[in-house]
Amino acid sequence: MSASQSAVRSRAEAVKVSRTFDWLICFTLFFVILGGYHVHFMLTGGDWDFWTDWKDRRLWVTVLPIVGITFPAAVQSIFWWRYRLPFGAVLSVLGLLFGEWVNRYLNFWGWTYFPVNFVFPSNFMPGAIVLDVILMLSNSMVLTAVLGGLAYGLLFYPGNWPIIAPLHVPVEYNGMMMTLADLQGYHYVRTGTPEYIRMVEKGTLRTFGKDVAPVSAFFSGFVSIIIYFLWHFFGKWFGKTNFVQST
Amino acid sequence: MKLIKDKVAKLSFVALLVTVTAAMFYTPTASAHGEKSQAAFMRMRTIHWFDLNWSKEELKVNDTMTISGKFHVFAGWPETVDKPEISFLNIGIPGPVFIRAGSWIGGQLVPRSVSLELGETYEFKVLLKARRPGDWHVHTMMNVKGGGPIIGPGKWVTITGSMGQFTNPITTLTGETIDLETYNLSNTYFWHAFWYALGLAWLAYWARKPMFVPRLIAVDSGKADSLISPTDRKVALAFAVGSIAIVAMSMSSTNQQYPVTTPLQAGLLRGMKSIEMPAPTVAVKVDDATYRVPGRAMQMTLTVTNNGDSAVRLGEFNTAGVRFLDAKVTEDTTGYPDDLLAEEGLTVSDNSPLAPGQTRTIQVTASDAAWEVYRLADLIYDPDSRFAGLLFFYDEAGNRQMVMVDSSLIPSFI
Repeated sequence: MSASQSAVRSRAEAVKVSRTFDWLICFTLFFVILGGYHVHFMLTGGDWDFWTDWKDRRLWVTVLPIVGITFPAAVQSIFWWRYRLPFGAVLSVLGLLFGEWVNRYLNFWGWTYFPVNFVFPSNFMPGAIVLDVILMLSNSMVLTAVLGGLAYGLLFYPGNWPIIAPLHVPVEYNGMMMTLADLQGYHYVRTGTPEYIRMVEKGTLRTFGKDVAPVSAFFSGFVSIIIYFLWHFFGKWFGKTNFVQST
Repeated sequence: MKLIKDKVAKLSFVALLVTVTAAMFYTPTASAHGEKSQAAFMRMRTIHWFDLNWSKEELKVNDTMTISGKFHVFAGWPETVDKPEISFLNIGIPGPVFIRAGSWIGGQLVPRSVSLELGETYEFKVLLKARRPGDWHVHTMMNVKGGGPIIGPGKWVTITGSMGQFTNPITTLTGETIDLETYNLSNTYFWHAFWYALGLAWLAYWARKPMFVPRLIAVDSGKADSLISPTDRKVALAFAVGSIAIVAMSMSSTNQQYPVTTPLQAGLLRGMKSIEMPAPTVAVKVDDATYRVPGRAMQMTLTVTNNGDSAVRLGEFNTAGVRFLDAKVTEDTTGYPDDLLAEEGLTVSDNSPLAPGQTRTIQVTASDAAWEVYRLADLIYDPDSRFAGLLFFYDEAGNRQMVMVDSSLIPSFI
């Protein structure tokens, strides 16, 4: 068979090869994205995602969407502009959550015995779905960045509230009031993570009283817009094939 | 020659495989906490733990024990370590094998970070509840922001039973009693599974049609718009609107289910109550101090003046948690860890009772393998080669008084 001849002999065979190729790519990409996104997220989101006593109304709400919109933006740009496939953000978040759950279950619980109700990961799926849909319907990077980025920040806290609210029920403990999440952090000893490392409820955003979470979410959304642009361009740059030698 | 080369290559490969396999399958239990690796000057010149008591050496899952005692915050805190203005009373254990059911400094609960004063002595207590069976080295520990974990003495404690029996009942301010070990677990699994399934459904919707090759060809040939059908748009809209609606409804129902929630509690606790230590009536001046490397012994020349009204003798030198005792003056009755106790490790040139008003210059030698085992001898390689420790003097009635010593240490290699 010469180089110019086709590797397939019929249309049916071409379709079959194409579908096999689809699954191979999907399977491989899932784990490649999982690895990259997971490492990035552990390094940038880290403790805010590891422990319930870091999941506060200010910094957790602010930081995690900002560092979490990165890979979805990059993968979206490759999948959308090259293939018109609108699932880049969801695929990224599926990979991240799969990796995080494996990590939390096998490492945090399986090896070091921290209870899972203390170390579960944050949920990014509502924002990812909305991000994908906005890109698909608008076919515009700018609109996706502005509307999708904002939505990504805004949906994060309410999307996680049903999971963390039970842990924010107050408890009186030896004469002090704390939440159940605080108590988890106190009870389950972390030798290398002393209490002062915890970056929660810090800042000067006191004017809004108890309604600080929506303000933090808006701020997170605004920054997510900028980060979306940046990582969308990273994705475009990485998605180029200029470096592949043509034969 | 080639045959030999090939054989060597093959054998080397086999050896490599065996080594890698052995390394993978040899996983001994890690039970130390790096206490011996921490710079000696940090252990000797920061927090001095004393009068420690581990209430139990063996207990069952769900049983409790306490570690209590005192710690002195050394006034000559090293310049290279941040001052303990933000500190946290921790416990050095390999993960949550116990839960920390309570910890107190000066009688105040300290679930958060505290501010400590140099030169003060504090009483502390940590209440632990056994969770995971095994033999665990349980250390006292103080984390200092900018200084790292300053680990204190450790003792082996055995937990028996089964971790499956462990419970952690807590009554909330809303009157509900829950088991914190498993609380909210099914709710967490449910919501994560639900959203993951929704994400998979979105992916499956697109994956049921050909993906990469035909779509790339279509995009490259300018037919990108034909790849998204009106149905696709409707389905996408349903996913987005549905997701937002689910978020709104689940948040609303959660707020109804948990009407009382509070923010995480944070903030530094100041004003820790220290112990009112009586002013020592014994004055000690360190004339010189040397560490003799071959003999694993530290020798101090001290000028001691007794300003009190009863005769005193030197009974103990305590540094970095290692206790050197003069057996003729005092003995340990608390079950202090053997490896940290030199029961006859303190030799004094003249330890006859020092009468009130008297001054005497004495040679004090603290010798024990602990200098080497606990790598305190490494002090001579530290950036701040000074030692510090606590001297305990006893009068005839058995009353004890504590005197802090701090001086340069000159190593002797011959």
